[in-house]
Amino acid sequence: MSASPTLLSCRDLSRRFGGLLAIDRLSFDVAEGEILGLIGPNGSGKTTFFNVLTGIYPASGGSVEFAGARVTGLRPQQIYRVGISRTFQRSRLCLPLSVFDNIMVGNHSRLDHGPWLNLFHRAGLRRQVSENFAEARELIQVFNRSLADRMLEAVGGISLIDRRRIEICRAMISRPRLLLLDEPSAGMTREETSRLMDDILEVKRRFGRLTIVLIEHEMSVIERCTDRCVVLDYGKKLCEGTYAQVAQNPLVRQAYLGIS
Amino acid sequence: MPAAISRGRVSASAVAAVFAAGAALFLAVESQRGMLALLLAAGALVVAIRRLKGLRPFLQAASEHEETGALAGVAFTLLLCVLFRDDHFTVFLIGRVLLATLACLGLHLQFGSAGVANFAGAAFFGVGGYTAAILSAHSPIPHIVAVALGGAVSSLIGSLLLLPLLRTRGHYAALITIAFGLLFRTFAEVNDSLGGPQGLKLQGFQLFGWQFNEELAIGPFHGSFYINYVIAAVALLAIAFALVRGLDRSWLGLALDAVRLDETAAAAFGLEIARWKIVAFTLGNFLIGTAGALSAFMVGFIAPNNFTFAESLTFVSIVLLGGIGNAWGVALAAFIVVVLPEKLQILQEYRFLLFAALVIVVLRYRPQGLVPRPLRRYFRGLA
Amino acid sequence: MSIGLLAQYVINGMMLGMMYALVAVGFTLFFGVLDVIKFSHGDLVTGGAFAGLAIYSFLEHIDGGGTWWITLVVAIAAASSMAVLGAVIGRFLVLPLRSAPSLNTLLITLMAGTVVRESIRLFYPGGSQPHRFPGLLGARAFQIGSLTLRLDNIVLLATGGLLIVGMHLIITRTRLGLAIRAVAQDEETARTSGINFERMVLLTFALGSVLAGIAGVMNGLYYNEINFGMGLLLGVIGFSSAIIGGLGNMYGAILGGFLFAALQTIGAVALPFASAYKDVFAFAAVIVFMAWRPTGLIGERVSERV
Repeated sequence: MSASPTLLSCRDLSRRFGGLLAIDRLSFDVAEGEILGLIGPNGSGKTTFFNVLTGIYPASGGSVEFAGARVTGLRPQQIYRVGISRTFQRSRLCLPLSVFDNIMVGNHSRLDHGPWLNLFHRAGLRRQVSENFAEARELIQVFNRSLADRMLEAVGGISLIDRRRIEICRAMISRPRLLLLDEPSAGMTREETSRLMDDILEVKRRFGRLTIVLIEHEMSVIERCTDRCVVLDYGKKLCEGTYAQVAQNPLVRQAYLGIS
Repeated sequence: MPAAISRGRVSASAVAAVFAAGAALFLAVESQRGMLALLLAAGALVVAIRRLKGLRPFLQAASEHEETGALAGVAFTLLLCVLFRDDHFTVFLIGRVLLATLACLGLHLQFGSAGVANFAGAAFFGVGGYTAAILSAHSPIPHIVAVALGGAVSSLIGSLLLLPLLRTRGHYAALITIAFGLLFRTFAEVNDSLGGPQGLKLQGFQLFGWQFNEELAIGPFHGSFYINYVIAAVALLAIAFALVRGLDRSWLGLALDAVRLDETAAAAFGLEIARWKIVAFTLGNFLIGTAGALSAFMVGFIAPNNFTFAESLTFVSIVLLGGIGNAWGVALAAFIVVVLPEKLQILQEYRFLLFAALVIVVLRYRPQGLVPRPLRRYFRGLA
Repeated sequence: MSIGLLAQYVINGMMLGMMYALVAVGFTLFFGVLDVIKFSHGDLVTGGAFAGLAIYSFLEHIDGGGTWWITLVVAIAAASSMAVLGAVIGRFLVLPLRSAPSLNTLLITLMAGTVVRESIRLFYPGGSQPHRFPGLLGARAFQIGSLTLRLDNIVLLATGGLLIVGMHLIITRTRLGLAIRAVAQDEETARTSGINFERMVLLTFALGSVLAGIAGVMNGLYYNEINFGMGLLLGVIGFSSAIIGGLGNMYGAILGGFLFAALQTIGAVALPFASAYKDVFAFAAVIVFMAWRPTGLIGERVSERV
């Protein structure tokens, strides 16, 4: 884990909402291929960090570099195109659309949007649709075999847990370089969470090259699946390191447990 | 497979036949009582069909064979023309229904695909008509090109309006189109180059020597000259339908859906919101303007009185009643909205009120409209 | 241009601005409280005017005293009838559609406005014709140099001003206003604070519609004429004004109303040969403005949590 190049690096990243400093001079690196856990109490700025990173909110200060290029100030569409993909804390699927459609929403960088293919060269489109269908099917199968047979059903009729899985597939289908998962296991039992993380790790293994930043509250997941973690509190970085290191840190224990 | 495909084709044709028969009956009925009886019968039929579970697989198969259904629809429409060939008014009505469908297909693209509100449908319809009128009267441009230019000018004016605003929230588009609709009418009335309150007259449509305003005569077959216009309208509508359905069943349609349903998520996955809205809006206005241009030729004149806000709302009502996501529903609703007030004369005065009330009921209790939005099946036999 | 003419334009502009502001405040209240555009608002102005006229026609036969008394009754009739109508539309059409896409609410209120408008046209006796609105405030005027000041205009201006100040006081000084602001800011928090969300929303709708009703009567008194379509353009202008000022912001709405009137006046002065074009000019200016500052002068309330 040591010699991997740095994929993402933020320096003094800040975001202010009126009088509230939601993230405060955040600085840390993410190495290529690693799984980084982002943890902290509620309201510590984790989702805000994702939102600033993906361009939904502009940064109030500091900078972020991705694969050597500066990405602060880019719009969400540009962030996606450089290879950063995400899930949302509050599920944002298009309920009236089918499972396949929803997954394909995440795949726009790899789909051909030319009018020729889409409107006239139907045979070519059919080929592309079939290929993508097979690929999406394969991906969703890792998470839930039965969903593979429900690809053309409306998402609105699918269970909440399965919707979370579909949303993760949507973020993964475009083979991003960096995947941001915002509490992917929300609403799941211990067992479901454990299975979900196994499935995510399986996909990572298949893709070969994938870096993940994971916001998670379930500490056993962090311990088992992440290589390192960063702890936030009130928008500031408290500390970083492996889970074992971080769990011992007195500042962390105070923030979480109130033990001084 | 072959058996399933032919079952699908037969079902689609059967559905088209049923609708065509219904249309023929509605068009033929003269008395008010006959009309009411027919409405009741139609209502009963709809209820019966929904109860009969056994019909489901046939309807499902029919929906997978849209192309056949469309071809059947074209054939049956022409058949209707043969049936009513001596009745100017009825053929004219058919033409109006077809052109209203064309215009509302454009609106459906804007509202139902991209979620862009357009309350100036009648105004863009009028822009197309005025373009055709001016070009046909003052330039040697062939009429068919004038019709296309009617669409183009509508698109152009539409994009001028919307370009700066599509970066922002939906209600701005609503406001601007409402304002544009209101102002267009005043503008047309005040402006003498557009003929003022009397409007402009148009000569009959000509296509390579085929005079549309002359009675149609093919061998022993004689028919109202309006049939010429119906044929042109059917051709345009067929192309537009293919375009709109093809668009929906492709990656483009998916992008539009994503933009409409959740802009934030769509942006997070690389979709340029403004670009897609502009595409839908511009294309939609092209269809509306083209319909308006051909309609101007068919009617023979164009006047500001026809492009009021109430007319724009009528177009919107058609899209909402038909089912905001379903192109076929647009055709059905267009037929109802255009034909019913003509046949039930008591409705004429009250039609804006009634349709507004009907839309309220639909939006409140059945927002998906008469015909619900189908799930996207890109191709037959995908799964 | 003489001072008198200039002053005339100014007073005219202020009158218009006042009426636009009243309508705009309604729009902004609805948006603030429920994130909805209630397009029936403009037609409630028409409704108020006709309700006032109807009451007047009824009272005309009863000579119960001076015109001031009748004017007050007319205004109250307009205000209260529209308050009820506004609340009814809110209760049956807007509140039930909260979870639907906002386009649906826009559409349903637009249709509701059409129903009001068409109902007036069809069911009010002679509805499709313009109606004379009684000059209840008298025709007294006095001269200051080359300027003719009409008493009724002054009364209208003063009334409008009082209404706006009254609204401001209600919103900022009363418990009702506090509840409205709480609901506008955050539904959940307001609910947990014990506020009855639905009741507050309906009250806000009623309040905004009161303004519409009175604006309708003011319109009638100013132009001495009303017609069934008057609310349409007023609604669009009111909405534009609310947007210019930033949706959700009451002071922005007032500012926007006066700004729009100023734009129209400038247009009328600059293009004296075609008064129809003054509206085109004003709206073109609004479009350009919105392209530059889409969230309005004072800023629209952003409500989405990502």
